[in-house]
Amino acid sequence: MLPQPASAQVSADDFNALKKTVEQMNEKLQKLEQTHAQDQQIIQQLQQQLGETKVAVTNAQQTADNAAKVQSASPALNVSEGPMHNFTIVGDAETQFGKTAGQHSSFVQADFAPIFLFRASDDVLFEAGFDFILANNGTMISDRSPGNTTTVNLSFATLDYLLNDYMTLEAGELLLPLGTYSERSAGWLNKIPDNPLARDSIVPGTGVGVELRGALPIGASGQSLTFAGYAVNGPSSGATNSIASASALDLNGNVGNNGNWHGNPSGGGRVGWFIPWKPHYDFELGLSGQSGQWSDSGNRSWTAGVVDAALHYGPNIEVKGEYIKTWVGSDDLGTIRPNGWWVQGGYKLAGMGLELPYINNFELMGRYDYLNDALGTKTDRYTAGLVYYFSNTLLFEADYEWLRSHGPAALPPNSFILQLSYGF
Amino acid sequence: MKTTNRLNSLRPARRSGIFLALLASVIFAAPIAFVVAGDTNSPPAQVEPVKPAKNVAKKKLTGAELYQINCNRCHAERYPTEFTSAQWKSIVTHMRVRANIPAAQAREILKYLQQDSGN
Repeated sequence: MLPQPASAQVSADDFNALKKTVEQMNEKLQKLEQTHAQDQQIIQQLQQQLGETKVAVTNAQQTADNAAKVQSASPALNVSEGPMHNFTIVGDAETQFGKTAGQHSSFVQADFAPIFLFRASDDVLFEAGFDFILANNGTMISDRSPGNTTTVNLSFATLDYLLNDYMTLEAGELLLPLGTYSERSAGWLNKIPDNPLARDSIVPGTGVGVELRGALPIGASGQSLTFAGYAVNGPSSGATNSIASASALDLNGNVGNNGNWHGNPSGGGRVGWFIPWKPHYDFELGLSGQSGQWSDSGNRSWTAGVVDAALHYGPNIEVKGEYIKTWVGSDDLGTIRPNGWWVQGGYKLAGMGLELPYINNFELMGRYDYLNDALGTKTDRYTAGLVYYFSNTLLFEADYEWLRSHGPAALPPNSFILQLSYGF
Repeated sequence: MKTTNRLNSLRPARRSGIFLALLASVIFAAPIAFVVAGDTNSPPAQVEPVKPAKNVAKKKLTGAELYQINCNRCHAERYPTEFTSAQWKSIVTHMRVRANIPAAQAREILKYLQQDSGN
């Protein structure tokens, strides 16, 4: 059976309503098309703006990269940390009481020795050490001056530029790496209150100039090869005339602003080999020297050679020392050879493992030092000492020194020294 | 004193030799003569020792070990809490220059000190 054909009858009202609806839809469609065209225009504008933004971002990135390159070449102070954030004070302070045979005992001196550190960036450090010393006049000078004398010394002041992982450039007043004593002798570092004789008499501790120094690591065991090369004003003549007499040698150096004084700086350096085999067990050997003119005419030279060594055998045993030889050209005595040496040992009683109160805080010290000034005076000295550690940086030191000195510049005999020393 | 007079009669080199021999004897004989079984009481002058690494030559040293190796050469070790992180950065830079510490080792030491640094 076939389906019946569809048929419909539409009234005039329905047709008109339908027609109206179609017309309204056409109208809406036209509006939508118009809106779409406007949207397309807006999208094009936005795309154009996006393109411009991308270009701007790329330019900004490039500018930032360029700025970063410039910054790494000359890094600026980290402002977020603030200038005081990079400023640090360390140092030490000492008070000494002394008794020399034939003299009254006294509180000899008080010393405040701050070190100012200013880290301008990761690669630039300025460091300066001062010595404020209040000394009892009764033992410093012989004319009974009243009261005390306060002196202020600039121990060192250098601008350090870390060139790379292996080299640092230093300029200013340098602690000279002639041996190691000058750089490692702050009051609380050396466990005997006074310096070895030769360090005070035949080699300078500081010099004004420039230095290139650094270290090369060897393997992974902590070994390193250290080096330093420097140029400083060097020793000069303290004579009031132009004769380079041997006794006129001024190790502190006083050159540069007088045409009559020698004009060429001295050169020097040190090479060291540091060999640790485990923590607290190490050996270091160093060879250093310096040479240059010292006489006003520039025709007399001063040369020094130093061998230094240090051994740590566990946390409780330390032995170190230096041998120093110098050659001084002179008009009156030819070339003389002042020389000296010292060796110092320490043993911390903690190494005995005794279960007694306070005993582990003691360290026994011994030192022998010898000086021949090559001008007729020879001195040798034995020092026995004891250190008590109140803390890791507060030390009480007691030493007795047996000294024998013969010659025109003979030193005073035996002494007893007490010192309270603090490192901060 | 008789002892002093006897010493004076000797030549300086011989006296030096005797003194050094005595010094060496005291230093090296003391730990042997007085070794007592049990723990060693560390004095306040030094930080508790870090157990040494086995086969040091092959293993990379830690910051703590490098700190003990380098800093104890000249002075008793400072506690990390004694300085702030920023202060340690300045101090380690200072010591890197002064004590000729290789840069890579100085960085490890700084990390170790900053980990437990003071506020």
